[in-house]
Amino acid sequence: MTFLSTNGHPLNRPLHRRGVLQGMLAGSAGVFGVGNVGIAKDTATAKSAESGQNRVLFIWLAGGASQFEMWDPKTSRETGGPFRSIPTAVPGYHVGELMPKLAQQMDKMAVVRSLNTAITAHGPAADLISTGRPKEPALDYPEIGVVLARELAVQGSKLPDYVSFFLSTEGRRRPATGFMGGSHAPMLLEKSMRPKDIDLPEGLSDLRHKEREHLRNLLSSEFARGRVGGQLVSGYNSAFAKVRGLMQSKGLFDIEQEPVTVRERYGRTAFGQQCLAARRLLEAGVPMVKVARGFWDSHHDNFESHRELTPDFDNVLSVLLTDLDERGLLDSTLVIVLSEFGRTPKINKDVGRDHYAAAWSCAFAGCGIKGGAVHGKTDADGKTVVDGQANASDIAATIYRAVGIDLQKEYHSGLRPVPIAKEDAKPLDGILA
Amino acid sequence: MKTAFDPTKAKLATTCEVPGILYALCYDAEQGTLYGAGSDWSVYCVDLNAEKPVAEKKWTNHKNYVSAVAFVDGNVITGSYDQQLIWTKAETGKPVHVVDAHDGWIRDLAAFPDGKRLASVGDDMLVKLWNAETGQLLNTFDGHAKQTPQGYATALYAVAIAPDGKHIASGDRIGNVCLWEVETGKLAGKLHAPTFYTYDPRTRVRSIGGIRSLCFSPDNKTLAIAGIGKVTNVDGFVGPCRVELWDWQSGKRTATCQDKHKAVLNHVAFHPTEDRLIVAGGGDSGGILAFWDAKKEQPIHKAKPKGHIQRFLLDGNGQRLFAAGYGGFQVWTSDATSN
Repeated sequence: MTFLSTNGHPLNRPLHRRGVLQGMLAGSAGVFGVGNVGIAKDTATAKSAESGQNRVLFIWLAGGASQFEMWDPKTSRETGGPFRSIPTAVPGYHVGELMPKLAQQMDKMAVVRSLNTAITAHGPAADLISTGRPKEPALDYPEIGVVLARELAVQGSKLPDYVSFFLSTEGRRRPATGFMGGSHAPMLLEKSMRPKDIDLPEGLSDLRHKEREHLRNLLSSEFARGRVGGQLVSGYNSAFAKVRGLMQSKGLFDIEQEPVTVRERYGRTAFGQQCLAARRLLEAGVPMVKVARGFWDSHHDNFESHRELTPDFDNVLSVLLTDLDERGLLDSTLVIVLSEFGRTPKINKDVGRDHYAAAWSCAFAGCGIKGGAVHGKTDADGKTVVDGQANASDIAATIYRAVGIDLQKEYHSGLRPVPIAKEDAKPLDGILA
Repeated sequence: MKTAFDPTKAKLATTCEVPGILYALCYDAEQGTLYGAGSDWSVYCVDLNAEKPVAEKKWTNHKNYVSAVAFVDGNVITGSYDQQLIWTKAETGKPVHVVDAHDGWIRDLAAFPDGKRLASVGDDMLVKLWNAETGQLLNTFDGHAKQTPQGYATALYAVAIAPDGKHIASGDRIGNVCLWEVETGKLAGKLHAPTFYTYDPRTRVRSIGGIRSLCFSPDNKTLAIAGIGKVTNVDGFVGPCRVELWDWQSGKRTATCQDKHKAVLNHVAFHPTEDRLIVAGGGDSGGILAFWDAKKEQPIHKAKPKGHIQRFLLDGNGQRLFAAGYGGFQVWTSDATSN
């Protein structure tokens, strides 16, 4: 049995037993449990399970993780550093020894080892990778996640279309909405994993709150009628509607509601907790979630910092992939692992690696991805791409195609048509299912 | 009276280049030969009697970075990130003993004053005691936490032997020192020096630092602990270089030597005859070789080495200082005066 993607393309995804059960429950009962959270049946969750909604989890390794220590090890070379490479579930492909759990799951993942994105300053590089577009003075492009949230949004959902966790502060970037405007801004979780102010103020009943919302909506609609900028007002109305949905589903952000065994699997690190919260949101029907894990900028003591960060990444991502798979969500959830750039082949005097964008790696799993695919190749020292060179636009196009978005689709900025993917972008077909 | 090494006149006399980083250094005083090893897995030697000393690659017995080295009775004993200790006959370059020593990177190695035993530390967070001649494991000391308080990987960077050979000190990433009774294997004490470990829970959500070097004073009363102080930006060694002096038997810190030079101190040693500390390392402010009066907070003198230093040692009469680090070997002299 196949699902249809949002643009009608078959994705050849199996229908999972759990998904069927969820769909049946959604159709027959007022509420059903998702991750032990009671959610009103008219939220996106039910629709998500029934319609084959695609979702995206964007894991942003802020600061620039090292491809040498993770996806493209160069053991025994001067540039390789001290970590060994280990075999994976994909014959012939090795990863760094700090990722033993993901090594066993590489048949679910695809790796691109041949990114050449040229820019080595944090801000501009993050802009490039996040939007899949070089900067243009005349047009601000939205972040890939903003486009994904818009394209994958479920009509009428009262959940946010995009939730972005960025709780560390260094390198924090708020997803740019660009020409799409503020109504497409994600829900930002920057100080806490739980949105603030989603509880009713003391003394305000739910009924009274609803009445106020009806009045606000009425006044707002009257105001918008016949005025230029009505879209802006409707954007506000939509945001207020989502607030109601959010308040009804506030338990989604509470990972304490997960069984202890599940929480232990994800681990007690902040990254683990955020990825668990992300899974709850995705499962409930939020189409786009971003989790930023900082900060990988290892100019000094690169090996010590990767000893610290990579095992946590390995554990959390491998648990997450297994969890998504067991819940029947992996085939409909694209998992992206990206940084703004990689690290230099040269190990500097501080036993660090500096910024490097000429040959680095990223990884994917899930929706639309051919598990076990490895795209591109670098030379023996990891200094240059020797096969399958890809740029930021190619990666963006690959992401869009993986979740079934038509690359030819156009938005408009004023009168200017803007294709979703850059005109010369080439999706990496080799990693697409 | 002969001044051993006048730090204010310290001068870089010779450099011998080696690719990458040398992490380890030892000296065969009888032959006047330095041995160093590091990131290219090989052991290099420098004949200091040569007119123009150069670094010569001698052997490659390990399969990863060489992090520690000791010279004992004609053998160069090396510890590596490949988890092995290897005894190599200096004359031939042939391995004599190969021992799978730790379940993790070996970080440091120290020979006892009588040369009969060795202590090693590794990322299995264990201290191991070895027969320096046969390579036989004599004892294992287990007392360091296996993870950081935040649940991440930690490391056991440093080991030192007391001058009387009765105690071993081991220092880890999170600022804990364990003191071990050699004969009984008992934990004799613990020191906590948390300033050496900076965990940033908010800005970058990771850590830096650790106790990188330990040294007992010649009178065995004081333990010097070296590393980096509180770091403002855990992306790098962006904190003050720091040494703490502890009365290790009472467990009290007696002095703090800290300088604004932003660096991690990879090595600390007491001068053998003078009440003076020598430290070396590198970081955001560049490499550092500094000399401290142990009673004063500020250094007597800071020299600017070529590249960051990982290890150093003084020759027998204290006239020269040998260093190893980024780019190879360095030989430092001073215009010592005799009265």
